[in-house]
Amino acid sequence: MFDEALLARLVTRALRHGGDFADVFCERRRTLSYRLQDGRIHDASYGVTLGIGIRVVVGESAGYACSDDLSDAALTEAADAASLVARSAPGGTVQSVNLSFERVASFYDGVFGDGVDAGRYVAMLAAADSAARRYDSRVVAVNAHLSDEVQEVWIATSEGRLVHDCRPLITFGVQAVATDKKERGSGYVGDGGRTSIAFFDRETPEALAEEAARIATVNLEAVPAPAGEMEMIVGAGGGGVLLHEAVGHGLESDFNRRGTSLYSGRVGERVASELVTIFDDGNLEEERGSLNVDDEGVPGQHKILVENGVLLGYMQDRLNARLMGVESTGSGRRQSFRFVPQPRMCNTYMPSGDSSFDEILASTQRGIYAKSFAGGQVEIAKGDFVFMVGEGYLVEGGKITAPVRNATIIGNGPEAMMKVTAVGNDGRLARRHYTCGKGGQYVPVGVGMPTVKIASITVGGTQHE
Amino acid sequence: MNESAAIELASEALALARAAGAESAEASVSIARRFHAEARADVVARLEGSTGKSLFLRVFRDGRKSTLSTSDLTSDGLREAVAHTVAHADLVASDEYAGLPDAHSADDADLRLCDARIAQRDGADKVEEALDLERLIRAADPRVTNSSGSHYTDAVGVTALANSSGFAAGYGWTRAGRSTGPVALDGDVKRIAQYGTAARHLGDLEASGAVAETAVRRAVDLFGARKPPTMRVPVILERDVAASLLEDLFAAISAANVATGNSWLSGRIGNRIGSELVNVVDDGRVSAGLGSSPFDGEGVPTRRTPVFERGVLHSFLYDTYYARKLGATSTGNSTGGGIGPTNFYLEAGAISLDELIAATPLGVLVMDTIGFATEHASGTYSRGARGFFIEGGELAYPIDEFTIAGQYTDMLAGIDAVAKDLRFDGPVVSPSFRVAEMTVSGN
Repeated sequence: MFDEALLARLVTRALRHGGDFADVFCERRRTLSYRLQDGRIHDASYGVTLGIGIRVVVGESAGYACSDDLSDAALTEAADAASLVARSAPGGTVQSVNLSFERVASFYDGVFGDGVDAGRYVAMLAAADSAARRYDSRVVAVNAHLSDEVQEVWIATSEGRLVHDCRPLITFGVQAVATDKKERGSGYVGDGGRTSIAFFDRETPEALAEEAARIATVNLEAVPAPAGEMEMIVGAGGGGVLLHEAVGHGLESDFNRRGTSLYSGRVGERVASELVTIFDDGNLEEERGSLNVDDEGVPGQHKILVENGVLLGYMQDRLNARLMGVESTGSGRRQSFRFVPQPRMCNTYMPSGDSSFDEILASTQRGIYAKSFAGGQVEIAKGDFVFMVGEGYLVEGGKITAPVRNATIIGNGPEAMMKVTAVGNDGRLARRHYTCGKGGQYVPVGVGMPTVKIASITVGGTQHE
Repeated sequence: MNESAAIELASEALALARAAGAESAEASVSIARRFHAEARADVVARLEGSTGKSLFLRVFRDGRKSTLSTSDLTSDGLREAVAHTVAHADLVASDEYAGLPDAHSADDADLRLCDARIAQRDGADKVEEALDLERLIRAADPRVTNSSGSHYTDAVGVTALANSSGFAAGYGWTRAGRSTGPVALDGDVKRIAQYGTAARHLGDLEASGAVAETAVRRAVDLFGARKPPTMRVPVILERDVAASLLEDLFAAISAANVATGNSWLSGRIGNRIGSELVNVVDDGRVSAGLGSSPFDGEGVPTRRTPVFERGVLHSFLYDTYYARKLGATSTGNSTGGGIGPTNFYLEAGAISLDELIAATPLGVLVMDTIGFATEHASGTYSRGARGFFIEGGELAYPIDEFTIAGQYTDMLAGIDAVAKDLRFDGPVVSPSFRVAEMTVSGN
């Protein structure tokens, strides 16, 4: 829907004051979403995002302008605004840019709701509501949502490349709230990915809702979490949030090129226990973080970040890769046409090790088993991170004893990773519902992990004896 | 940029909705020109300038609500999206509470939302301001050798709302901000901090020198930090941290969360929850407030709502739908799609933060937190934190890599001192305050 000649003209115009490279990012996104509360469909929403972002890069400077008005005049004005950054830079001569279209391999099908009977979405929400209530009579509220979107992008670069991608993303989430006379507990489960509604024939809304109801009733009976340093078992799947926070963000190339990350300049050094290997992969089928091409038009890749405890490399976008003298790793991502690309994670995970879950549990004298996670955050200079437990248990004498109330766990990235003393043989990717925020931009990501034992970490509960 | 263009676009969307079969409808349009300069050392790292336009539409048919959010304002694009939105309502359950507000009005109160100087400001001046912050943080302390960037941002916009009951009004607004992220190095320990200021008027912004000084202090004061022992002690939450706790409290006050089982305050109107010092207000009429506006996302006039008075829970905050559902009156807190704060704050006390620290024989000062998960159903609070250990009324040594935790009910009841350092530099703000006892988890 975007004219090739127009895009070529905009790239050329953006470079009128010079620049190392320029790109034009065109986006058309349509989102259908539905929300259920009180046992009925509360609202339906339709969203359309349409616009163009134009960027000019000169050295470590970027000029950016976007427009949701696609008229020639508005787009030319945007190209001119983006070009301003190069005004004071040593200018090269600008040739006119010719674009040639490149095809990319696909890791997902471009299926979108336009072809789906919307009644199916609504039926899924209703099925989740009854399943959660049926699961336990203490479930008093069920809130569920479903969104199905397709983001089409066209990326034109001053090297003459033009790529198009069509990215589906479906997300279904259900929250159950349980109560008895005294306490309240809630549980949330979400899943989906870059796939179609057919995914939920495999992972049924009923099963997801029962899982949310189960967590709500577990949390209802939870005791206050302990406070202080203790052993920790990080659960398989969602435990990948730990990698995302403790290591992943610190390996994004903007922080490292600028020297603000504690991992800056440490490629080749030991940064974790030798049991630790971490991948970031943009090529996994159906995962939320997968990309046929990133938002700079570079194909997604499988990257080894850490191998047997040694740091191997960073996640690169074009601007930072160029300044660091390496190639982009296909990690340039943006929330929408309104934002400049940043180096970001795709799907971050740790492959399986040798230990069984039972061995890991039996080896734990006093600690916390965090089975699922509600999210996390990191401070990248010193590496202190937190992650929030969604479903957690006390472990005493090698046995799971009682569920504990939600608590924040705090640690330091390299210190915690050095204390990994066992890696399970049960590695898997988490249910697909994670979204990562950085610099005010939100993008879908995937995480994964086997069961992992950390020798000691600080648990932020309230119970201190 | 003027309001009439935005009102016209909103009216056009209403007409399309009526033509497509909506019984009633409401459209809001926002048009804004945004500027952002980022400097790092002596380089302009980023220069952004754009104008954006977006439309949000709610349509009702037989008590069924459907919404549209779009940036495609071409006439074909808009017509197609509106038709789709109206048809979409068929999937929604009929709800007796859904619909436009019963009453709406726009008044002429001058809320000082616009500073004409922002629109007139020269681009080079703004870039210079970001570069200046970079010089200031480096001059403030020799250990500041790097930064994650210094920023100047501003926006000039109009917001308009029209509905099928005859409401049509708009208002202009501006905002500006400056912020910086110094990185300090001591041996091989790196510390990063972030501090910024925002306001509707340039003159209300904290001066660049003060912004740089606070940011640098937050980075360098923490060198040599250790983990505190695990214990239960008085905890002072500094202004920004206190404000983030107020954001959590807002979630429990939002009628949408009360109605969906996600508020630990559900069913507790009229109960004493907090100490005598807990006076919490939502006020959409604060002069030049970042959360101020003449009317909310449904055209309901904004107002001042006391939420807690001397610790007693007085009111939740409502939009039209949840007010009807819960048998209350809208408090003018609709964001269009949900319920949001206007200017939501804890009223200031009489002492300074320094006096508050001096009056604390043993405790912890929290300057910064990380993490965000709050269990709103049960009211459990837990955060990663850093700050200072207090001994004998003095800051004894910096501490980090610990958590603070408690139940909201205990924390609000435990607020035993409130400082006077309240500043309206965001929609949700708070003075620093002390909680008599929380669990600090460290070694």
